[in-house]
Amino acid sequence: MAQTVQATKNIKQFLGETGELSYFAGRFFKEFLKPPFELKELLRQCYQLGNRSLVLVLFTGFIIGLVLTLQSRPTLIQFGAVSMMPNMVGISIVREIGPVITALICAGRIASGIGAELGSMRVTEQIDAMEVSGTNPFKYLVVTRILAATLMLPILVVFGDLVALYGSALVENLKGNVSFQLYFNTVFDALSYGDLVPATIKSFFFGFVIGLVGCFKGYYSKKGTAGVGIAANTAVVVASLLVFLVDFIAVFVSDIFYEL
Amino acid sequence: MAKTTLENLKLGIFVILGTVLLLVAAYLIGNRQNMFGETIPISAVFKNANGLQNGNNVRFSGINVGTVNKIEMVNDTTIRVHMIIAEKMQQHIKKDAVAMIGSDGLVGSMLINIVPGKGNVTTIGPGDELRSLSKVATQDMLSTLNVTNENAALLTEDLLKVSRSLTTGNGTLGLLLNDTEMADNLRQTLINLKNTSEQANAAILELNEIVRKVNFEESTAGILLNDSVSALKMRNIITHLETSSIAIESTAKNLNAVVAEIQQGDGAINTLITDTVLASQLKNTMRNVDQGVERFNENMEALKHNFLTRGYFKKQEKEREKEERKAQKERQ
Repeated sequence: MAQTVQATKNIKQFLGETGELSYFAGRFFKEFLKPPFELKELLRQCYQLGNRSLVLVLFTGFIIGLVLTLQSRPTLIQFGAVSMMPNMVGISIVREIGPVITALICAGRIASGIGAELGSMRVTEQIDAMEVSGTNPFKYLVVTRILAATLMLPILVVFGDLVALYGSALVENLKGNVSFQLYFNTVFDALSYGDLVPATIKSFFFGFVIGLVGCFKGYYSKKGTAGVGIAANTAVVVASLLVFLVDFIAVFVSDIFYEL
Repeated sequence: MAKTTLENLKLGIFVILGTVLLLVAAYLIGNRQNMFGETIPISAVFKNANGLQNGNNVRFSGINVGTVNKIEMVNDTTIRVHMIIAEKMQQHIKKDAVAMIGSDGLVGSMLINIVPGKGNVTTIGPGDELRSLSKVATQDMLSTLNVTNENAALLTEDLLKVSRSLTTGNGTLGLLLNDTEMADNLRQTLINLKNTSEQANAAILELNEIVRKVNFEESTAGILLNDSVSALKMRNIITHLETSSIAIESTAKNLNAVVAEIQQGDGAINTLITDTVLASQLKNTMRNVDQGVERFNENMEALKHNFLTRGYFKKQEKEREKEERKAQKERQ
């Protein structure tokens, strides 16, 4: 009985939180379209979220490309299809691995950062102070961050993809004597707009989801200083889960528009 | 303020670089699909598309020259494949070129191969339809392989029977493989053959030596082989022999005819040969003649001793002796 009550409570909490998140997203679009636009803060956030995440994304992308090629190589050799490596790795990275890995890295770094920052601001009543002083905290803090995350993630994905392909090409060059020119020619031969466009579009959604969840968790953090940690933690978890959910929806939708 | 400017600069570089990379990637992908260059549309009709899709490559002599634009089902046995070809390649593709559906490697994606024609015809133009050649589909190949496999199974079954017969020693071949006595005989035969061949070789060498030693220039054989005058004489002799043989033949024919006439006719010779009464009469006559001659000799002997004729016989004997002496002297 107690379990049922707890389950009901959890479901209610989940549904309530989903509703709040939806309302939060709706408010974002409302505030986003309404002037004045906090351009300076937006640029600052773009720098914080984009440039500061670049090294992490490049490093991760390079390792992913390297490892993916090294792991696939024996199997492809077994099937006598090692020449298909650039096609396989290129399509995998551009279509799926690049955007998802970059999004997960950003979920870990950006969502937690935003959650912790806004959470601490909430706990220390800085947000309340902004409201009192007549500044719209939602517009200044939330809209800029969500927008910055939405705009920066696709660019990070491009860098991540490029470096991952470079890592893969490096392995092929060292192990299979495949020149970089041949490797990238084969990759671009294999790729089509059906791979690039959906991946780029879904990257915007990944960025939006990461920024939204980070801001939501931080903006509504409770329970004092402990709430800051909880906000940062749940922001990462929920953002990562939503990244996969958005990925699934994106694949489902792109399947309708492009023959994958 | 300076910090913000530097941050904005870095952000600007980051965004511009990211956007440029994205655009370059998009351009490269589009360029591979002939989206940006000048292109011309052409088409080809096939019976089976073999899994060809929009966007698949079109190759001319192994070079990517375009992409498949649209695949249209005209009727239940006709599929029209529309392609776009780079305009710069138009000058190389002639109207008698043949389009074939193939695959990029064994497991690669499908593509259209345009094989150059042979004739001196004009180049293709926009909207032209290329001739097509349907290659054997994978399914057909598998069906053929299936038949081959069945045949191979039958063959191996037969081979198994043969090998069993061989191992058990049945049949001539089995006996050959298993019978040790026959093997010994064969070995001995081979040794004999070897000896014989060695001897034959030696004999041939000897013959060669003999032939080498023959004086072809002065011997009869040499004259026969080398002297043209003798050859001419020989030819004349042979011609004469031929003529003689013809004459002999005709003579033999005549003799045959004479003999036949003798046998068949009523002449004296035939009567002599065939009439037995005449033969007995002739025998009697001959006997009488013998007796008469005998008696005549007796009479002549009596005449030699008669005093009237004795002188004549003596005179004849003397003359004969005289002639003999004269002949002896002449010989000496």
